Amino acid sequence: MTDLLQTVGTGTLIGLVYALLGLCVVVIFKASEAFNFAIGEFLVVGSFLFYIMFFDLNLPIFIALPLGLLAAGIVGALIEYLTIKPLLGRNPISMTMITLGLWFFMRACVQLIWGSDTYSFFLDLPDITLETEQFFFLSDPIWAGIFSILTFILVVFFLFRTRWGLAIRAVSEDQAKAMAFGINARFILMIIWAISSICIAVAGVMISNFGALAAGSGIVGLRAIPVVLIGGMDSIGGALVGGLIIGICESLAGAYIEPMGLIGFKDVAPYFVMLIVLFIRPYGLFGTVRIERV
Amino acid sequence: MKKSVLFGLCFVLVLFLAVPGAISAKEIKVLSQFPMSGIAGSLPEFGWGYIDGMNWVNSKEGGSGVNGKPIKWYLEDMRYSPTVEIANFNKYLAAHSKDEFLMATGYITGGLKPLIDKVNKEEKIPWLDGSYSTEIFGDEGGPTKFPYYYSLGGTYGNQLKLLMKWIKENDKGKGAPKVGLVYSPTAWGRDGIPEAKAYAKKLGLDVVSEIEYPYTATDATNECMTLRKAKAQYVIYHGYSGAGSYTASFFKTAKKILKEVQLMGTHYTSGRFPILVCQASYDGYVGVATRPFFDSVPRSKTPMDNPFVKFVHDFAKKYRPKEYVAHPMKPGGIKDIFLYVEGLSYALMIQKVLVEADNAGDLTREGVKKALDNLVWDFNGMFGGKTFSYKSHTIPMLRMYKAKVVMVDMDGKKVPTGGVYPISDWINTDEVKW
Amino acid sequence: MLSIENLRVVYHDVISVLNGISLEVKEGEVLVIIGANGAGKTTLLRTVAGMIGFYDGDIIDGDIKMNDVSIKELDSADIMKRYNLTYVMEDRPIFNYLTIDENLKAAAYSRWDNKIKTDMEEVLDYFPVLKPLRNKKAGYASGGEQQMLAIGMALMTKPKILLLDEPSLGLAPLITEELFGIIRKLNKSGITIVLVEQNAYAALNIGNRGYVVEMGRVVLDGEAQELLKNEDVREFYLGAGESKRKSYKDAKRYKRRKRWL
Repeated sequence: MTDLLQTVGTGTLIGLVYALLGLCVVVIFKASEAFNFAIGEFLVVGSFLFYIMFFDLNLPIFIALPLGLLAAGIVGALIEYLTIKPLLGRNPISMTMITLGLWFFMRACVQLIWGSDTYSFFLDLPDITLETEQFFFLSDPIWAGIFSILTFILVVFFLFRTRWGLAIRAVSEDQAKAMAFGINARFILMIIWAISSICIAVAGVMISNFGALAAGSGIVGLRAIPVVLIGGMDSIGGALVGGLIIGICESLAGAYIEPMGLIGFKDVAPYFVMLIVLFIRPYGLFGTVRIERV
Repeated sequence: MKKSVLFGLCFVLVLFLAVPGAISAKEIKVLSQFPMSGIAGSLPEFGWGYIDGMNWVNSKEGGSGVNGKPIKWYLEDMRYSPTVEIANFNKYLAAHSKDEFLMATGYITGGLKPLIDKVNKEEKIPWLDGSYSTEIFGDEGGPTKFPYYYSLGGTYGNQLKLLMKWIKENDKGKGAPKVGLVYSPTAWGRDGIPEAKAYAKKLGLDVVSEIEYPYTATDATNECMTLRKAKAQYVIYHGYSGAGSYTASFFKTAKKILKEVQLMGTHYTSGRFPILVCQASYDGYVGVATRPFFDSVPRSKTPMDNPFVKFVHDFAKKYRPKEYVAHPMKPGGIKDIFLYVEGLSYALMIQKVLVEADNAGDLTREGVKKALDNLVWDFNGMFGGKTFSYKSHTIPMLRMYKAKVVMVDMDGKKVPTGGVYPISDWINTDEVKW
Repeated sequence: MLSIENLRVVYHDVISVLNGISLEVKEGEVLVIIGANGAGKTTLLRTVAGMIGFYDGDIIDGDIKMNDVSIKELDSADIMKRYNLTYVMEDRPIFNYLTIDENLKAAAYSRWDNKIKTDMEEVLDYFPVLKPLRNKKAGYASGGEQQMLAIGMALMTKPKILLLDEPSLGLAPLITEELFGIIRKLNKSGITIVLVEQNAYAALNIGNRGYVVEMGRVVLDGEAQELLKNEDVREFYLGAGESKRKSYKDAKRYKRRKRWL
């Protein structure tokens, strides 16, 4: 039993980071119905920007983190301004295609600027390892969980309690209507991308702190796909639930199914759960069921 | 009048056809391919080492090529892709004639397997490779099956077996030592595992856990908890690049969760990269390597007791002065001299066997193969004066190392210093009675 | 105050919708624009509100002038900010997933003053039906309530000119009547209104002047009461023409269009 709790607990901490990944996709999907495939590269760019502030410039973390995130947000907004904005009002498929292109373009840019070497990454946060006789939770994942849930709450607060958030939700529902009521949809869309890239940078910094940072680290962004498909592409709560499901499910598969001889099942388990969920609820657990007449 | 014009034309034509044929004697051509760019890591050091090495080999002080004849060399970046490697090889096969194109080299197991028939049966061209694949160079494959494949290091099977042997010899606890295996779910990671397990059984070691830890892993908590549950005392980490973020993830986590456990690994995690990337969590690691340790952190602290190590450091200082002193983690610097040496070793090896073949009077593919098979060499002192022979088609020299990493304060920042230091003599696996 | 001069608008570079339309809106009036489906009424309003670019349309000729200043280069937020012009789109342009309160707040996004709260109460006083629904999602309100909300949201932007696109669409006659009463009230309070309507009779009844639009052009204009009496308008838009029976051939509008030209 303690074993199970330990496994679920480990999964939950990682799941919170995955939830943040999911949130980044959901926020953009809600606003423009485009799936951001470049999410992994945004993660790498955000992490490297923080790396510059913290490791290269040697700033203390409580200055480096906000500065790094701000830089990530600016980069996100800039990318939106250059690539997504001209497509406002067009078919969301074309935006999705643009993000696919961005994926490769940004990957190449990261390699040009930082090379594809691995950069050591030690945040040296206060050690809060939780070690009792039954349980063992490492400091880094606990910090990752804390930072992720804090970011998640901040974003939700921003969306539901501020005037910008209201405008974002209005634009998310209908860009044309929002524009008719004087909401600058183009600007709001830029803010949405900035928020998304800030969140992803937080996730990136946390994940890099587990190991190290490299141009290839963006692969973790693909974890966002099962997260949002399970939770529902347009549900913020769904991202949280989806993230937790993926984290716990990975953890359980690693602890109980792999030792049974199914080596490598951990990587497949999220997609397995995703398939089951999609069979039962094609729009995800919390996704809006859309009725489209063709 | 007309006739003389015709004669003139014929004369010119004959001149054109005959003269180049008469001037161009048989050339010596070799092709090398290294992974120098790509998402898995940008390692231009391979190329630098090879280029500098080949230029040196062709120069006067390097022995003027093959007894005065220059070696015409080609270098390709195969970007970690077997497809690219095979395509490049085929391109050069088509462009150069059989008696001129004498040797080829590669650096990836994935490229060896599809080329088995082409290299060993059709072209019969000696092929040096950076792969330590047990499947190709171990007992299952070897010289009888793949007569033209040569590896520049001991197989993973032998490396893992040596680790098992070390555990057996150094375990002080009661009962069978408990070993956990962590390997990547790739051909590389799985290579040598069956041999190692069989050998562990023979030695009376208890393999308590086997984990496939993927490159895409976000964290390693679960893997380490599983090892903890299985009460592993020794964990062998195999099939990973020492520079990968997954390696950092694993070592950082393992150091905290598996405090009492001895972490061990094979060649590519025994070196300089893990010191830079994993820092203090790499301290105490025991690994096996096919080369001497070339590069400490910082570089100036490298022990120069090995003549070959001293040679390559002087070489790099002379030919790549800027890169030698550049920041190791920034593009444009030599991150790990091992990479530079790999390129250089290929150049030295190629020259060595071509010269041997030429001395025997048979500068053909067959002659080079014979030279390789009969080669007995100390590799310019690489193995502390010991020589090796190529009868197993691998350089069978292995050595055990232990990592020592100390964090020191530098400008208010903690930076790692240290290296991996030998804890055994050079072991010729051909002579070991397993 | 608002004049449209020889405006030509093309969608997707090929579909020509407005073919040189010209009209004039005077301050304080209710201007009624009537026309058949596809005549270009909605496009006209979109263009004036600066939203034509969003629908991939282009102004290829002509000009829109606000007090003799061209506004055709401005986008919707600028036009709203500078000229207090608000466009209420057709088919109840409300945000279904926001509550009614939030809808009103969202509509006030372009304002930065601190009177938003009091204005909200004022708007709700205007439409008492909305009061008990304040914290409900707008998508659950009835059609009439939604249309009231849409106009209420428009009021939150403090408009001087209100462009209404078919507010009576899909509403019951009684509610339509109430709605037109409200529009008249708004007009009395000093808001200039441009009303695009299919329900020509009711619209012309509250309007001062009217334009009839066909194929992206104005084909008839005049005082509202005059238009109500016009034989062609009566026949085509009010459904009441000469009492004698006509053949189907004559009823086909495209055959009779010549008369306008």
